[in-house]
Amino acid sequence: MSIEASAQECAKNLSQWFNSFYQDLEFAAEKISESLTRRMSGRSKIMDGDLVDLPEVSRSFLEGHPTAVGAGAIFAVASVSRAEGVLEWWLRDESGTISKRTFDLVPDTDGFYDYEQQPWFTIAARTGHVTLVGPYVDYLGMGEYILTLTVPLYVSGQFLGVAGSDIRVRDLEGVFVPAIRALPNDAALLNDQDRVIVGNSGRFLVGDRVKGVPPGARKIGLDVPGLDLHLLYLTS
Amino acid sequence: MARPVDFSAQIYQPLPELDRADAIVQRIIRAVSLGLIRQGDQLPSELELADMFGVAVATLRDALAALRDLKVVETRRGRFGGTFVVGAPSPSLDLLRKRLTALSMAELRDIGDEHASIAAATVRLAADRADPADLDRLESLAGALRNADSPGARTRADSRFHIGLAVAAQSERLMTSEIRLQGEVGELLWAPLTREFDQHRAAEDHLSIVAALRRDDREQAQNIALEHIRANVYHLIDVKLTLTYAGHGRDKI
Repeated sequence: MSIEASAQECAKNLSQWFNSFYQDLEFAAEKISESLTRRMSGRSKIMDGDLVDLPEVSRSFLEGHPTAVGAGAIFAVASVSRAEGVLEWWLRDESGTISKRTFDLVPDTDGFYDYEQQPWFTIAARTGHVTLVGPYVDYLGMGEYILTLTVPLYVSGQFLGVAGSDIRVRDLEGVFVPAIRALPNDAALLNDQDRVIVGNSGRFLVGDRVKGVPPGARKIGLDVPGLDLHLLYLTS
Repeated sequence: MARPVDFSAQIYQPLPELDRADAIVQRIIRAVSLGLIRQGDQLPSELELADMFGVAVATLRDALAALRDLKVVETRRGRFGGTFVVGAPSPSLDLLRKRLTALSMAELRDIGDEHASIAAATVRLAADRADPADLDRLESLAGALRNADSPGARTRADSRFHIGLAVAAQSERLMTSEIRLQGEVGELLWAPLTREFDQHRAAEDHLSIVAALRRDDREQAQNIALEHIRANVYHLIDVKLTLTYAGHGRDKI
């Protein structure tokens, strides 16, 4: 197979993985929306009791996606009755146990987590598209190197927040490297900031930004709507 | 998604029962494999060692017994008696293979990032502070890597040069960081796992760093050091990927 054909094949495989992951996130978001629509029955703001189905949705998402380390839903402050908003997040620990994570949502404290300012929230709110943020060092959290993927959540056409999932970079490597190593030359998957998400050698290192197209390299887009992902590869 | 953290669970927890004898064993083994203590060297007396490590003599004796079992030291009786280093324990290739494949590319890059920052600062300070005798010592350490004839000897020669740079930089803290980093990657770098690391290129890099230091060219010395570490990371990632994905062929995700 020519290098161009291998690159197209690899881009197709990577796109399929993302599209399927986002499809599952959309499915989780729909289940959450349906449940909220039923329980809110016309009220404009979410109350704590409306969230009873969230644990099951988050758990089953994590159980179905061994690559993911966290999953849940996050609501806009304006759409909940509690002043600080609602952040419903479940984590899988080293032993595989899934448990709920609590957050400091009180402004002016050291650990205050102003989630409405995070790009995976603002971009979804502004564009109505899926988002992919990272790789980034989760400095407010456990200091891990992760990616966050979200989809917007709507009830009766109104934006309420996002459903999303975290993936550790080290776990993603295990999934993507075999696909990208099918390319015989140095290659890397780049996010919308031209930052390397995963490479197939020591040439393109995760976290590096590849500004412009290096000599002898070519860039092709991934077919993942809303995300500006590219596969970069050397042609010889 | 970033999550705020409450560190109190990490801070206010019972301290582990430190196995002090084991900690001494690990420290001596590391010092020997990095070439900080050499074959034939005599260790201080039991009383001195116990005092320096801050442990009871009985604990120190347990540690020495374990080191004797591992054939790292031997104790000779008599007038010229004492405890002597007889060899560096070489970790099994299998163990090194496991250690390397357990590290992700992101972690290997990050170790390289830390090493690059330590090395850049070290080499700049060495350019300012090294005297001619320091440079001569560094040059002979660089030469030792060229002639090293086994993975263990290469690990020790390579580590000794980098630690020597920190010594020439007059910084105890940078030296401590360098020892820790060498302990993390030194053996992995030189282990013959897939293809061997390019010994001659590494030795040339070391000699070029010393030459740049002699010319007072700190920029050039730093650039060579950074490129040198980039080559280390490239090699480790290459070996890791080959070990992990060899034979997978055209895997689909």
